[in-house]
Amino acid sequence: MVPVYHFLWLGAFLFCAGLMVIITKRNAIMVLLGIELMLNASNLNLVAFNQLHPAHLSGQMFALFVIIVAVCEAAVGLAIVLRVYQHYQTSVPDEVTDLKD
Amino acid sequence: MENGLSLTLDHIFSSLFELSPEVILSIGILLVIVVGLVKKDHAITTLLTLLIFSFSFLFVLSDLDTLQQPLLLFQGMLRKDTFSLYLSALVDAAGILTVLMSWRNQREQSHLQEYYALIITVALGAHLLVMSTNFVMVFLSLELISISSYVLTGFSFDKKGAEGSLKYFLFGSVASAVMLYGISLFYGFTGTLEFLSEEFLKNLAGNITPLFFIAGLMVVSGFLYKLAAAPLHPWAPDVYEASPMPVVAFFSTVPKLAGIGVLTRFAMTLKMADQSYDWQSILSVIAILSLTIGNFSALLQKNTKRLMAYSSIAQAGFLLIGVVAFLPQGIHFMLFYATVYVAMNFVVFIYLQYFEKNGFVTIAEFEGIGKTFLWPCVFLLIGFVSLTGLPPTGGFTAKLFIFSSLWDAYQLSGKNILLWLLIFGLLNTVVSLFYYLRIPYYAFIKNRSINITTNILAFENLFGLVLVLLILLFFFSPGLLMGWINKITFVSVIRFPLSVIG
Repeated sequence: MVPVYHFLWLGAFLFCAGLMVIITKRNAIMVLLGIELMLNASNLNLVAFNQLHPAHLSGQMFALFVIIVAVCEAAVGLAIVLRVYQHYQTSVPDEVTDLKD
Repeated sequence: MENGLSLTLDHIFSSLFELSPEVILSIGILLVIVVGLVKKDHAITTLLTLLIFSFSFLFVLSDLDTLQQPLLLFQGMLRKDTFSLYLSALVDAAGILTVLMSWRNQREQSHLQEYYALIITVALGAHLLVMSTNFVMVFLSLELISISSYVLTGFSFDKKGAEGSLKYFLFGSVASAVMLYGISLFYGFTGTLEFLSEEFLKNLAGNITPLFFIAGLMVVSGFLYKLAAAPLHPWAPDVYEASPMPVVAFFSTVPKLAGIGVLTRFAMTLKMADQSYDWQSILSVIAILSLTIGNFSALLQKNTKRLMAYSSIAQAGFLLIGVVAFLPQGIHFMLFYATVYVAMNFVVFIYLQYFEKNGFVTIAEFEGIGKTFLWPCVFLLIGFVSLTGLPPTGGFTAKLFIFSSLWDAYQLSGKNILLWLLIFGLLNTVVSLFYYLRIPYYAFIKNRSINITTNILAFENLFGLVLVLLILLFFFSPGLLMGWINKITFVSVIRFPLSVIG
């Protein structure tokens, strides 16, 4: 069996990669991608930790729930990006700056 | 095996009966959408939403009256106790007030049934979040609130609305992803997702590492995001400015109540499990930051909605003080503060909505309108005085209570950070005086001749009068409300249940 540490390193890497994508990429679609990476990092963690605590399957069940919620979030997010595009003709959040102090 | 399964099913079935307010809200969401499709009449949809919230409110109140001891529902997913019921009652009250406010707002008329369905969904999420004792439930109900809120922000259907919901969405989904990673680490440490269980505490106590500290911060930050507390507040002003006024009033109360509820439970657990990291000081620093950033940024604002956004960030700091005390009376006074906060916030927002409809958006535009709109401005003044925390309003009593609990906590633990929090809290109350009273100052003191015919304000004034009387009542006899709140035992917030139904 693959030791659990490998999964945890992969999870941590995915989380950091997701955060990097969110911070550096300018396009809202890329930010959405980064969020998916972060959510999947947590999924990987949950499933891997379930190996350490095999009495219940709660970690794997949680991962299933997270997948569903991530889909809902992406759907709403894309709809919002589309709406912004209709108004501003861009999907780059930096160029959408009507609201500020 | 089959026997076990039928027992489980019985338990789930009997749990459902304990959950009548939430069942009503869930059915209500579907009902509002269906009725909205069949009948295009706005009055019927509004009335139906009002009925749904009122029924849920009444059921919560009757539960609050009869509940003997905390109940654990759905095999430890939810926990129904007096603390969660009280917050649920407040959420429903805020829901009722929001529907009444929306009644007067003409702008949402195009998609009214979706609008009400989303409002009820957020309220349902708040109900579930304050009851959650399991991380799965915490995540699901938090997302229920968040995803509906992203859509509600855009309900003004204009350019600003789209931008507001984009910003809210980007901030919010990153915050929940970070929180989820923290949760996954906690699952790894303890092997259980039930954060109030004995197992969780036991496994955590043997596992205090810097990684635990980071995981704790990650989870807390998810709750602070909902609360709009300081390091995670930048979304609030933009979102508030973009949203329609009833939605702003709703956002400034319901997600905050839900966030403070779950944060209280979780912070208690952290503090019990962990002696090496000082969570009390960490939360104190967050409260100080919220108070200071909220109040000082509000000084510079010109738009009324942005002003209220920063005000709500500062108020989140005051709510946090009640949690920071980590004392039974701290939690009681936090609930008292939350109740007064709901009342005074809605007084202010109902009139801001009315003035916004008449074209008064920036603070300078309020110049000299005090004579034309005498009663609206007087009620608005009382709302602002209460938010500042001056007598004779409930806001004063609430602030007095919450500071006294902080003082008790300081005397008990002798931590300097608590004294600093007290000092910052008092100083910030003075600072808040300047911006809260700016609108009444412009309205009453400055002179400008305006010729606006006043429309009939009967509805707003009735709504405002009831809430203003409530605020004054909280000042003159706080014992009435405290009698209710004192029923909430400290044990019920953190310790676990003595009985499991089914």
